[in-house]
Amino acid sequence: MKLTAALFGNTYSFKDLKEVMAKANEEKSGDQLAGIAAADAKERMAAKLVLSDLTLADIRNHPLIPPETDEVSRVIEEAVNEKIYAEIRNWTVAELREHLLRQDTHNEEIRRISRGLTSEMVAAVTKLMSNLDLVQAAAKIEVTTHCNITIGQRGVLAGRAQPNHPTDSIRGMKASLFEALSYGIGDAVLGINPVIDSAESVKAMLIATKEEMEKWRIPTQNCVLAHIKTQMRAIRQGAPADLVFQSLAGTQDGNTAFGIDVKLLDEADDMIRREGTGTGPNLWYFETGQGSELSSEAHHGVDQVTLESRCYGLAKKYKPFIVNTVVGFIGPEYLYDSKQVIRAGLEDHFMGKLQQVPMGVDVCYTNHMKADQNDMDNLAVLLAAAGVNYIIGVPMADDCMLNYQSTSYHDIATLRETMRLRPAPAFEKWLEMMGIMENGRLTPIAGDPSIFM
Amino acid sequence: MNRTIPLDQLVDKVMAELQKKLPAALQNAASQPAANVTESRMPSETGSADDFGPPISHVPNAKWAEGVEELIASTPARIGVWRSGTRPLTREMLKFRCDHAAAIDSVYGTVSQPLLDEFGLFTVDTYFENIDNYLKRPDMGRIIRDDGVERIRRSCRMKPQVQIVVSDGLSANAVDANLRDVYPSLLDSLSAHGLSLGTPFFVRGGRVAVMDHIGDIIEPEVLVLLIGERPGLVSSRSMSAYMCYRPRKGTVESDRTVISNIHPRGTPSLEAGAHIGSVLKAMLEQKTSGVNLDI
Amino acid sequence: MVRDVQNRMTERSDDRWILSVGIDIGTSTTKMIVSRLRLMRTSSVLSLPRYDIVERELLYESPIYSTPLKSADEVDADGIWQILAREYEHAAVRPEELKSGAVIITGETANKRNAKRILHLLAERSGDFVVATAGADLEGLLAGKGAGAEERSLRIRGAVANIDIGGGTANAAIFQRGKPIGTVTFHVGGRLIQVDTGGAITEVSPSIRRWLNASGYRLEPGQRVSFEVLQQICSAMSRNMLDYLAGYASADQEPVRALLLGEPLSPMPPIEEWMVSGGIGRLMEEAKPNGLADTAVHGDIGPLLAHTIKELSSRYAIRLVKPDQTVRATVIGAGMQSTEISGATVHLDESALPIRNLPVQKLEVTPHLLAHTEHLAQAVSQTMRTAAGLFDAEASPPFALAISGLRPLTYASLQRLSETIYESFIAYFPSSGVIVVVCENDIAKALGQALAKRAGAGPKLVCIDQIKVEHGDYIDLGQPVAGSMIPVVVKTLAFHNRVEVTDV
Repeated sequence: MKLTAALFGNTYSFKDLKEVMAKANEEKSGDQLAGIAAADAKERMAAKLVLSDLTLADIRNHPLIPPETDEVSRVIEEAVNEKIYAEIRNWTVAELREHLLRQDTHNEEIRRISRGLTSEMVAAVTKLMSNLDLVQAAAKIEVTTHCNITIGQRGVLAGRAQPNHPTDSIRGMKASLFEALSYGIGDAVLGINPVIDSAESVKAMLIATKEEMEKWRIPTQNCVLAHIKTQMRAIRQGAPADLVFQSLAGTQDGNTAFGIDVKLLDEADDMIRREGTGTGPNLWYFETGQGSELSSEAHHGVDQVTLESRCYGLAKKYKPFIVNTVVGFIGPEYLYDSKQVIRAGLEDHFMGKLQQVPMGVDVCYTNHMKADQNDMDNLAVLLAAAGVNYIIGVPMADDCMLNYQSTSYHDIATLRETMRLRPAPAFEKWLEMMGIMENGRLTPIAGDPSIFM
Repeated sequence: MNRTIPLDQLVDKVMAELQKKLPAALQNAASQPAANVTESRMPSETGSADDFGPPISHVPNAKWAEGVEELIASTPARIGVWRSGTRPLTREMLKFRCDHAAAIDSVYGTVSQPLLDEFGLFTVDTYFENIDNYLKRPDMGRIIRDDGVERIRRSCRMKPQVQIVVSDGLSANAVDANLRDVYPSLLDSLSAHGLSLGTPFFVRGGRVAVMDHIGDIIEPEVLVLLIGERPGLVSSRSMSAYMCYRPRKGTVESDRTVISNIHPRGTPSLEAGAHIGSVLKAMLEQKTSGVNLDI
Repeated sequence: MVRDVQNRMTERSDDRWILSVGIDIGTSTTKMIVSRLRLMRTSSVLSLPRYDIVERELLYESPIYSTPLKSADEVDADGIWQILAREYEHAAVRPEELKSGAVIITGETANKRNAKRILHLLAERSGDFVVATAGADLEGLLAGKGAGAEERSLRIRGAVANIDIGGGTANAAIFQRGKPIGTVTFHVGGRLIQVDTGGAITEVSPSIRRWLNASGYRLEPGQRVSFEVLQQICSAMSRNMLDYLAGYASADQEPVRALLLGEPLSPMPPIEEWMVSGGIGRLMEEAKPNGLADTAVHGDIGPLLAHTIKELSSRYAIRLVKPDQTVRATVIGAGMQSTEISGATVHLDESALPIRNLPVQKLEVTPHLLAHTEHLAQAVSQTMRTAAGLFDAEASPPFALAISGLRPLTYASLQRLSETIYESFIAYFPSSGVIVVVCENDIAKALGQALAKRAGAGPKLVCIDQIKVEHGDYIDLGQPVAGSMIPVVVKTLAFHNRVEVTDV
């Protein structure tokens, strides 16, 4: 494994793969905070050059976090198809990039190759891709999933209705939900972040969303994004959950900080299959985001792009219905400005899709970040072009409970109209029946939440 | 013990109700306070609501207009906002941008010196250097500069029962907007509970975990940090009170007890201040804080 | 219906349950229920604590007893106590376990002598905080809640009326979007005219005579009437009542005016659905009487009246819906729906609790008052003076000062306010040992703290919040639950005289 490169008259040599991977990243404040980022632009390019010549076997043979000590590494290792890996093990990372971008490499070929890739290989190739590379390659990949309805088809842009309320008021939550539905949003999931992490509160919201789904015969799925243990308690008490949710980290220690491990996820998986109300086969909702491992000091000196890729490697095991990175939520110490957030959003979406994960993105930012709503408009358009499965719908993009800004009901409707995208087919049929949509466009009554009163 | 009114009197009252003899005087009195209502307004509030007025429905020809108003009243979320094509109406979009403007400006603001002087708070700095670095390097906001440590050692009573620290954190505005109410209310609640206070001061460029460094220097029994929160669009002036029993280097987040969202439209600052005394009292009694504290 | 009363203490420790009783002593029947109310923290761990009643579970329903009477209008209090003692035993509750609830004395039983006996009895032998209530407005509201009209109104746009019809009166309560918007009482009831199976009138209640006269009927005991005449009377009575509720008839004209008891309805939106609870509600579910023999099974016109209302009500453009409860609507409302819970950051002197039947005097503290000390002093003084004129100045406490407004409030204005309140209270009520303040907004702990600073060893303080009360309400304050909050029963009586102060 060659870890040196000559550039601009200097010889750059790197200690190990971990250092190359970290320094080959586009600039991220999180890698700087961890003290592993390239010192300057030239060192960054030297690392990219070294990385481009490494083979996929080099990457697999030099695990960044050994499977012996980390269960996420084990899950990723165990998922590799050895025959397919054998076919591509001698490809360099550069060749992998070019293969993905070839005109004759289609969805089917990528899907096959992906079974021979580890999350680290996926992260490596991402570091060599430009933003437009990430858009184009991701756009080739179609990952469809089915809970109560199918989403992820080419040409479909779904939306999560996120009708959060600062005190978990059921009436307030429903008010925001009605607004979402009236804009044609909610095909990905009716998903609520609760303020109070109690089984009672979770149950009450699952029942309330289910009630509306049944009353208006809405073809979608519900979910309350509490801790998995709380959801399990609620389900045991009879709460109707179509999907179960959990935040994931890319290391075992990171997951410990979230209060989860693979055993618990297996247990929850078994439970949602037995006691969930969703049709399936895809019954999970995961959220991830670059920087979470560093924030819990569980990063093992590995860069945040690679760790993020490993989240998807773990997510894949549970055949999720939806996964999204909450890209700009974590703060400027991990992603400093809009340039870094836009980059991370495209990276995460691509890395997830390349691992056959049904990726959505929470296109978002906090107010101490150097970003604003215009930057979100930009990223949302880029992701729509990249074929993102869904994005988040919040009233006017302002989440009054989580105190951050995402994308709005209006934004999803706008992306659909301008990018010629449609809601999930089953959901669109329902929107037509309700008179909210006609031929893929909102009707004059769309935007009136009292339709649902 | 005169715990209830005498029974006969009670019966008379119940009977008065039965016969619906509401005294005429009461009815007159009922209209009294309303007569004093005037147009006077309190000093400007947080958020853009004062400039834009309360949210009302913009949905034309709603299926049920009163219903839309009821929905709007049930949540602070921006609903019933209507659209032009698929885009928001101009005023609604500008209102959103105004709230964002207030939020970013409060990150880059500074706390009013006269306010700190009013409460006799001296200032020490962390190693944050400047706001941009503060945002990128939270670790530097957790350590007081050496000259500050020296100042603390010189000025503060060591090992007090209660140490109060104020910091700008992510919103200097939050300190400006809330300190004048939350701080004296907190002092009252300390004296109501018979707790003794050390020497309070202000930390510029502080992060929550600066509590640990201060704990190492002063060794208080309990420490309260009043710090500006990451600004949101609902309020750019929201403050949190972090409380910890014997904070020291290595204290974990789950050992801290927090009351957040203190601002004029959120957790009332006076009530928060009054409640903090009870929480500190419980910490001292139970010799713990955070998730282990039973309140 | 006994549902596992014994298991109620085995719940998880973060659940706080309070046991609540409802007792309805009416003209003809008496019944009780035991329920439990679950308090759950509804604020996040990052917020000030706040608890709400999140679940109301019916644990026990007594059979329906005939009200034991000593004479035609005198309740046999000992007989009532025997019933209650037996039912407490069946329900497996001890009176001292009961933390909340209400006894409601209804119909013609609600006279002073009975109320006095029953209140004596309950004060001595029943739970700590079982409060006595009466009054047709409240009865109608509780029945409306128990029958499910309040809940139903949240599910439809229009107003929902529940008409609780018993032996002597019909109490209608109208709800819209979960809020009560009006109550009205009629002289309509199953026992107003008593008749035997042969058609002989055995009694005509004095309360219906004016209406009978105004409608052209002459009925005297001993007189024989045909089934058709009874049908006509029931029909006319029902039509007057339903027309009035539907907005087709005015209270200004006879005979409708003669049918009304107390105040007419204030103007309100049209009713979309109505339901009938009470004894008549239950009779509506039974077979229709076809002659005098079927009608007079209980010796009165009840069954006929019930079916007349059932048939007539379907002719209006108002949907007739089934109530959740019929004959037990009031007792269930009293037992399960009467209690609220105060905020959890309050200032309490436990030794002053419980407090029953405390009248409310309201003070709206506007931003203007907060900004102008002299106006504030005037308003507070005016409120105290009015209260001193109305209530017993020696009582401890004499009344509850209900404060609305106060948002936003600064430390300086809080100090000013508490100074003014304290000084004024001491001036008007120098010998009262307890001050009770009920705030609408979450400020009780800070205000209590500020008042306590001034009171020192003086009067005891009970300062609670997040309870909305109005002039003319009476409140009952229970003992603390988990040390930090108290159950409160607000008895809304002055429905018609309420002055609405609209929030700005």
